[in-house]
Amino acid sequence: MKPRDYALRLRNRFSRRAVLIGAAQTGLFGLLLWRLHRLQILESSEYQLLSDDNRMTRHLVAPARGTIYDRFGRTVAVDRENFRIVVIPAFCDDLAATLDAISEIVPVSASEKDRVMRAARRQSGYFPVLVTEGLTWRQFALLSVLAPQLKGVRTDRATYRRYARSRSMAHVVGYVGLAAKEEVDEHPLMRVPGFRTGKAGIEKGLDPELRGQPGTISYEVDAHGRVVRELGATASVRGKDFALTIDQELQEIAHKRLQDLRVASVVVLDVVTGGILVMASFPSFDPNEVSFKIDAERWTELARNVDHPLENRALRGVYPPGSTFKVVTALAGLEAGVITPRETMHCPGGYPFGRHFFRCWKRHGSVYLHEAIKQSCDVYFYETVKRVGVDRLAVMSRKLGLGQIHDIGLAGQKQAIIPDTKWKKKVLGQPWYPGETISCGIGQGYVSSTPLQLAVATARIATGRMVRPRLIAPSEAEPEFPVLDIDPTHLELVRAGMVGVVNEKGGTAVRSVLTIPNVQMAGKTGTSQVISAKNRGFLKGWEGETHALFIAYAPVGAPRYAAACVVEHGGGGSRAAAPVVRDVMTEVLLRDPAIKMALIASNQEAPKAAKAKGRTR
Amino acid sequence: MKALFAEGLERPQVKLKQKLLALNWPFLLLITAITLVGVAALYSVAGGSLEPWASRHVVRYCIGLALLFIVALSDIRWWLRAAYPLYLVALLMLACVLLFGVESGGATRWLGWGEFSFQPSEIMKIALVLAIARYYQWLPPSQVSWPYAVLPPLAMIAVPVLLALDQPDLGTAALFGIVGCGLLFLAGVSWLYFIAAFVGIIVVLPHVWASLHDYQQERILTFIDPERDPSGSGYHILQSKIAIGSGGYTGKGFMQGTQAHLNFLPEKHTDFIFTMFSEEMGFIGAAVLLVLYLLALLFIAYMALRCRSTFARLVASGMGLCLFAYVFINVAMVTGLVPVVGLPLPLVSYGGTSMLTMMVGLGFVLNAHVNREVRIRREEFGPLW
Repeated sequence: MKPRDYALRLRNRFSRRAVLIGAAQTGLFGLLLWRLHRLQILESSEYQLLSDDNRMTRHLVAPARGTIYDRFGRTVAVDRENFRIVVIPAFCDDLAATLDAISEIVPVSASEKDRVMRAARRQSGYFPVLVTEGLTWRQFALLSVLAPQLKGVRTDRATYRRYARSRSMAHVVGYVGLAAKEEVDEHPLMRVPGFRTGKAGIEKGLDPELRGQPGTISYEVDAHGRVVRELGATASVRGKDFALTIDQELQEIAHKRLQDLRVASVVVLDVVTGGILVMASFPSFDPNEVSFKIDAERWTELARNVDHPLENRALRGVYPPGSTFKVVTALAGLEAGVITPRETMHCPGGYPFGRHFFRCWKRHGSVYLHEAIKQSCDVYFYETVKRVGVDRLAVMSRKLGLGQIHDIGLAGQKQAIIPDTKWKKKVLGQPWYPGETISCGIGQGYVSSTPLQLAVATARIATGRMVRPRLIAPSEAEPEFPVLDIDPTHLELVRAGMVGVVNEKGGTAVRSVLTIPNVQMAGKTGTSQVISAKNRGFLKGWEGETHALFIAYAPVGAPRYAAACVVEHGGGGSRAAAPVVRDVMTEVLLRDPAIKMALIASNQEAPKAAKAKGRTR
Repeated sequence: MKALFAEGLERPQVKLKQKLLALNWPFLLLITAITLVGVAALYSVAGGSLEPWASRHVVRYCIGLALLFIVALSDIRWWLRAAYPLYLVALLMLACVLLFGVESGGATRWLGWGEFSFQPSEIMKIALVLAIARYYQWLPPSQVSWPYAVLPPLAMIAVPVLLALDQPDLGTAALFGIVGCGLLFLAGVSWLYFIAAFVGIIVVLPHVWASLHDYQQERILTFIDPERDPSGSGYHILQSKIAIGSGGYTGKGFMQGTQAHLNFLPEKHTDFIFTMFSEEMGFIGAAVLLVLYLLALLFIAYMALRCRSTFARLVASGMGLCLFAYVFINVAMVTGLVPVVGLPLPLVSYGGTSMLTMMVGLGFVLNAHVNREVRIRREEFGPLW
């Protein structure tokens, strides 16, 4: 072969291979296009999400908390505007100098400055740091004007919680506070600086509804986290408003009435609706102070105070009901058929049982049911309870709402104890001894209850219906409470005894008779011992005094209000507790439209006399 | 044309006016269009400003164009003589980089005198093509597939590949390899060599792999699949894929690319400019740009096919291979098909050296095209000079 042919063959080979390479290149470009097709068309939506994820950050905007009103629409708790100063450290030339400039207008303490400086060092410089809050309008306006000159200083508006009649409403409404560590993981909203959640009372019980839905602001950020622009916002949804059944004015009056006492609480129920009109507990605290800018020292002082001002005693105070419990024992006896209204028992001032002698507070001599309630004879009820037995007593107690938690939207209620043989076996692991039944009959021993439970029991006795207490006003009319499974004649007998307690000569609370014309109150006193065989000698002075209790309902003919009052270590129920109930009940009754009408009518008949009587406490 | 053809046989010199007429003007238009895409992209990267990149890109293109004309209109025989010396100079400079190179970003690629600095590997890209073409111009066609005859060009390829690997500059090394092997293939070297090389690699690779330490294997795996390490080396490629993918069919709009403008993309004016372009222009824009490149490649192939001399054929197709390797590796890299090796997108990415090299390379393509009818007798040149 000639070399020339080689050259030709090589050129032909080049042409073939060049076409081959051209095809390969085209094929590889096809591969690139296929790849782009996959990224940009098939998986595009996925990458668009990732891209948006990259560039957008969402900031939560805290919603306004729902307002809480009392039964007449008066504000109890409301979100107020809170003027604050924040700095964005990255925009400040000199953070320390900026803080000094701020402190010329608003006092900023050295420790606050220190906190800001530390926060600025710890987190991204673009994250705002709160300097101080709760500015007055003047300070806020001044700073807002000056802000453009002070680099990195921003004024902003948040909210804080304001409570009206705060001390008297404190235990009912509760308070808010910064989200606790455990709560922070629960919802991202908790991370919003300065966001507060309900910590006690209604604020806590209805927190999820009061809280509302957070809004968001989306920002576009660059790869370094710098905000480039605002992309848009969704508005936050305000929390739900609630109306309480509490009458703020009455609550205030009750609170004032309790102020002379050391530790006391009073509950007043509307027996028809179950609405709690008054639930006062003393001593109290100021939720305004606790919710906003409280210092650690003051908080410890409140939390460690021997009288526990933070506790709502109406719900969480557990006391032996004492003689107020006798109405329950009486009903249990009547229902069981072990006593009759005419049966008389002899009270020699005590009751021997086994080797023990149970004392009565007085020698009553011969008493029948009405007198036994009226004069609060222990011996009569020792005998009654011995016949009834503790289990049947417990059934009656529970029927009347004792020893159970009533869901009124408040957390932390105490259940208290209504003992029976099963309970003792389960809790103490011991059999029931007959001797223990005797003291239960007069509301001592294992028996305990809270003021709210006592008020509910009173309401149930007064109406014969299964009254359920409530703190939140229902939005629509609720059906009447179902009738209790108790013989009405038996209820009438007990009620008559309670009327006697206040209104008949020899009753234990005759000194607390109402002074409103034509309106009578029925009640039952109780004086429960705190000293038992076990702690004898340990409790001295005030702590050794008996608790004073009083339960009542009024008006007698058509019961509308039921009340219970416990004065801790107040001495005798008739002396310490009954006057409180009388005074509060008077105010309650004077505000009742029906009674007001009757009063006006009688005033027109005898204006002078009624005036003199009606206004007396 | 007829006259040119006849004259070319007797006298290789062609008059300047005729040369200008013989230039492939549509091809020049095509590469200008590609460059304008780059100008637009750089204008967008700068946030809607000609400064600092777009205007300089234009200036560099103009300088490059001047060089292109100079190269295209020069005598092809001159380059035949210059091929080996040029290769040697480039090789020396590559070696110098090893000794006195300026380090930047973990790799030593640059040679500098004061303000001025450049990458010898860029010169080598052209010199390698010229040298291999020169070799086959001299080699008797009957000996193309002789084992001894294959060794010199293999050495010519291997030395710069090894030097580039040492820098380390994997992209350039791959480019040398692709261009060199492509040229051997086009020069007519028997299939057997390529098949043997392929089989050899397949057989040896697992053994090499097995002999590596665990951390070396891990490093290589991360290099091949950066998504194994999404916060480190995988971050850039992930952001690039997000940018391209989020562009969708029609893109986010000119100057609207969020990934690019909010700085999630690295090196968006150089190696990752294709990413930014396809984020803003979408699949359609990216496809159009790729088609422009493909057209340029097909033009080059067409021009190479029409050349009469081996040298011109191989020079033109070698430059074509070079352009292809650049585009393919860059786009495959930013779309996550191949590891990140750091090669720019020719004519579009901002960068003086790569722009000038590419324009000179394209100048050689046009030079071959202008001299397509020139026959160069094998005997005209010796083995070395």
